Amino acid sequence: MNLRRQAATLLPIVTAVLVGFAVCGVIAALVGLSPWVMFTELIKGAVEGPQLFETVARAVPLVGMTLAAGIPLRAGIVNLGADGQLVLGACAAAIVALYLPAPDAVRLVAALAVGAIIGGGYAALAAAGEIVAKVPLLLSTWLLTYPAKGLCGYLVRSPLRDPVTAWPSSKRIAVGARLGHLIPGTPVNQGLLLIAVAAVLIVFIDRRTSVGYELRMRGLNERFARYGGVALSRQTAWLMFASGALAGLVGAIMVVGSQYRFTDGALTAPQYSWSGTLAALLAGGEPIAGIVAAVLFAALQTGGFAMERSVEIPRVLTMVLESVIILFLSMRGAIWRRAS
Amino acid sequence: MGALFNATFFDQAVLGITPILLAALAGTLSERVGLFNIALDGQMLVGAFAAVAGSHFTGTLSGGIAAAVLATVAFSALLAFGSAVLRGNDIVIGISLNLLAAGLTSFLLRVLFGVSGTFSDSSMAGLPRLHVPGVAALPVLGRALGEQNALVYLSWLLVLLTAVFLDRTPWGLRLRGIGEQFDAAVTLGTKAVRYRIVVTLVGGALCGLAGLQLSLGSLTLFSENMTAGRGWIAVAAVMLGRARPLAVASACLLFGLSDALGLRLQGEGLPNQITDSAPYVVTLVALVIAGLRQRIDARRVVI
Amino acid sequence: MAYLEMIDIVKRYPGVLANDHVELAVERGEIHAVMGENGAGKSTLMSILYGLQCPDEGYIRLAGSTLFLRSPLDAIAHGIGMVHQSFKLFESLTVWENVVFGREPRRGPFVDAAAARSQVAALAKLHGLPIDPDARVRDLPVGVRQRLEILKALHRDVRVLILDEPTAVLTPGEVATLFEVMRSLAASGCTILLVTHKLNEVMTVTDRITVLRDGRVTERRVTADTNPTDIVRAMTGRNVQLRAARQARTPGPVRLELHDLVVGGPSRRAVDGASFSVRSGEIVGIAGVAGNGQSELVEAIMGLRSAATGRVVINGRDVTRDSIAQRRESGVSYIAEDRVRTASAAQASASHNLVMGFQRRPPLAAGAILRLNEMRRWARALIDQFGIKIASEATRVGTLSGGNLQKVVVARELAHDAGVLIAEQPTRGVDVGAIEFLHAQLLAERARGHAILLVSAELSEILALSDRILVMYEGRIVAELAGTEADEVTLGLYMTGDMSGAA
Repeated sequence: MNLRRQAATLLPIVTAVLVGFAVCGVIAALVGLSPWVMFTELIKGAVEGPQLFETVARAVPLVGMTLAAGIPLRAGIVNLGADGQLVLGACAAAIVALYLPAPDAVRLVAALAVGAIIGGGYAALAAAGEIVAKVPLLLSTWLLTYPAKGLCGYLVRSPLRDPVTAWPSSKRIAVGARLGHLIPGTPVNQGLLLIAVAAVLIVFIDRRTSVGYELRMRGLNERFARYGGVALSRQTAWLMFASGALAGLVGAIMVVGSQYRFTDGALTAPQYSWSGTLAALLAGGEPIAGIVAAVLFAALQTGGFAMERSVEIPRVLTMVLESVIILFLSMRGAIWRRAS
Repeated sequence: MGALFNATFFDQAVLGITPILLAALAGTLSERVGLFNIALDGQMLVGAFAAVAGSHFTGTLSGGIAAAVLATVAFSALLAFGSAVLRGNDIVIGISLNLLAAGLTSFLLRVLFGVSGTFSDSSMAGLPRLHVPGVAALPVLGRALGEQNALVYLSWLLVLLTAVFLDRTPWGLRLRGIGEQFDAAVTLGTKAVRYRIVVTLVGGALCGLAGLQLSLGSLTLFSENMTAGRGWIAVAAVMLGRARPLAVASACLLFGLSDALGLRLQGEGLPNQITDSAPYVVTLVALVIAGLRQRIDARRVVI
Repeated sequence: MAYLEMIDIVKRYPGVLANDHVELAVERGEIHAVMGENGAGKSTLMSILYGLQCPDEGYIRLAGSTLFLRSPLDAIAHGIGMVHQSFKLFESLTVWENVVFGREPRRGPFVDAAAARSQVAALAKLHGLPIDPDARVRDLPVGVRQRLEILKALHRDVRVLILDEPTAVLTPGEVATLFEVMRSLAASGCTILLVTHKLNEVMTVTDRITVLRDGRVTERRVTADTNPTDIVRAMTGRNVQLRAARQARTPGPVRLELHDLVVGGPSRRAVDGASFSVRSGEIVGIAGVAGNGQSELVEAIMGLRSAATGRVVINGRDVTRDSIAQRRESGVSYIAEDRVRTASAAQASASHNLVMGFQRRPPLAAGAILRLNEMRRWARALIDQFGIKIASEATRVGTLSGGNLQKVVVARELAHDAGVLIAEQPTRGVDVGAIEFLHAQLLAERARGHAILLVSAELSEILALSDRILVMYEGRIVAELAGTEADEVTLGLYMTGDMSGAA
């Protein structure tokens, strides 16, 4: 891609980000907060000193969820069930990490693997609905999150409940079965390596393999892909499995790498799934752009937390910011203008 | 188990159906005019919040109603602009609007009311229940059919009006044409874009009323994300009913009943995490059955 | 001063001067042909007349007054109506709903359905266009749909009726009926503009002709004073060979067989028991008016549609249960009818479009990994070989002209070197130079010993290329003729289902 075309695709995104900031500034001003303070605290909170490690730590699951959303998005499919897949994967990982009769290191690896498989399997269930019964994935993935969260919420309140804590939570995972810190003294754990490997794999597959080619062509024109011999149903099943598996892996990493237990609601509180979906939309499903968008959003969110702590501006404003950016881009037709 | 389907059950069912029904009507009109409106959930949430804010700050019910409708119509203007005027991608716009609604309402909850999570005020003016003399005396169904608030009865009326409107009036005919073949409608002189804008805004008003029912219809409170995905169930209802008002209403009835069933089972001791999933599972099963019988409106639900 | 005048019309698109100071003059009650090849500018001119576009320069005068048309609404208000090539009908609505759409008779807030029905019935009777007001459009055959389009225009008191390639979808019998309707409309004072590239029809029914080439008017004639050769020269600038030279060949072994193929459910069989075979080194042409099952037949052969019963055998292998990929592996390529929606991806580069089908094997892939340099080389080679006018292999194909895009599709499908080639409407919407090139490619395939199934709505193309001709009518093969025995008249009769003309 030549430089001019690259600039042409970047320009609407940069404009959208600026518009997003402007709109949030207006909203802040309207309720009596200072936009200038908001911005400075946001940026400081993202990159100043130890905050930078916070941003990196947050970027790991966010990049993971962005890539998870981006895989089916490349084919034009929206996976709105990433939350459910993440939670199921996390719960399964916690169960394995706590109860598998095996040495610590084995439990850790098994937990991560099981988390991914369960997450992938659940997403593949939705794919089956689409393939066999034409139930749109957009709907089925969303609807399936409720039973998933419900089941895990129930499990962690009765059979798996840790009687010691006040929250509905599983027991703490043994130190040996946890993912260690990557950079000592920071919240960045070894999960970063896993996600980094996943990212490299995904980018490679997307750009340099036949599978990636078929995926991209389908995203551009599904009829063309079918006409050319691409097996669409099989592709859908694999796409959804991969997407769910990555989401499940992220959940597993959160459980064995930072939270060290499964607590109902704690995995979805940071809303990585939604931000991941938004970042993937921002990137149009393209993996590298998705990673950049995810890092940007991670910075925003870390900054948001710090902003709330220091000047009490609600950090949920960053979610508003993210949605405005995507909304603006989609209005300008920079995202998938429908062929008229 | 004998008292499973008692008066309270049906009352809960009717209460549960109403927001979904109103949102589904909005979705039906959008679908008929050729737009895929998946921002029903977000619009409902805006309406729910605005209703509480309006009722609280003006101290009156009409303040709440006005706020709900006006705020949601204003919010839906974004959808109208992006989808109908600019022809952007319905799905992306819908998703971002849903998230924007969640973020905005949570933000304003903190900023305006100083709380996070839930704001409840039992002194707030809510929707009062009416009393229809003959009907209220019926066994089992009496309370459900005869003692609801005005909005519930209005929603039933709106179903009929929508059906008649689409089938019998000139504007309904044009809507159907626009939805089926936009370009043909334009060349025949219909101001198609204008129709789409109006339909989206009217849909916004309907979703505003849905939100009103949610937050002021029985208890008077607003909690974050209180729509709990009902807007998506409305989307499913529109699909199952193939955008025909009466069929869509039947689909909503199914969900309302399963919602009430879930609450009832919770009362019988089943864990609430499981029972809360009831309407969603029922929706899924209904979609699968409909799909297997090839009766799903196979619209392009892919970006 | 003529009744309808288009004066000094100029219309520019990026890179193309579609209309170059075009002047048109039509008298009242005249049937006037606007002729030209694809890309000559006739569609642009008519869309300006109908208010779909604004000219960059020039204006329109009707009955002495100048018109400013900002939209089709204005055009309709002045009595200008247009029947497009692709119909603008609402399939799920009834005939009367389509006719009165936008100007419905009312009773209070409701539509007065009874009044609408009687209006439509009366209008249909008056102009000799039999139609059932309550029929749903989706149940109507193509010829009747066109009648409906004309009724719509008549309901709006049309004074100038533009017909854009109206006979493309009609049987010869239906064409004759259409001409009668045109003559009677003209006799009652309606002015008719017939946009077409079909010579014989122009000679039959029109009063005067205006010919466009490359955006300019090259000829204005009274029909009675001219002949086909002159018109063709005005359209193309040279004497075109109307029949390509074809050498006789003995066909080899059978490569494609259909046995009692049925497509569609019990109520609507799109293909109703088709059986035939195609051999190496022969071109079998399927003639028939669009909509008689040809598309469904081809899709069933390729696997894009499933067959209800029957068998498809490719190169000796029964592929009836196979996937599309498996069928292609068995040795079939397919030049699809819709090059934009099916046979290409507009936003992908030329090389990506040319790779489809080759992405999993050498030389373009090593195992699962793509060899990007090989892909580029491959694409460049095909672009050179087929003379595709494109900036580079990395350019998106969405910007290409119809002819060039078709070359991309054909280049790719031929590169598969498959024993069976299916070519569906291969030269539709393609300029004459590219048509000659593509026909030569098809004949070269034939010489190479491949079996070719040609489906085309252009009888001249079928007659020029086919060794054997099959006629499809209502899902069945109703006739089989040798290429040398067939002519337009005989084929035309079979195409209407009239078997009596069997010689």
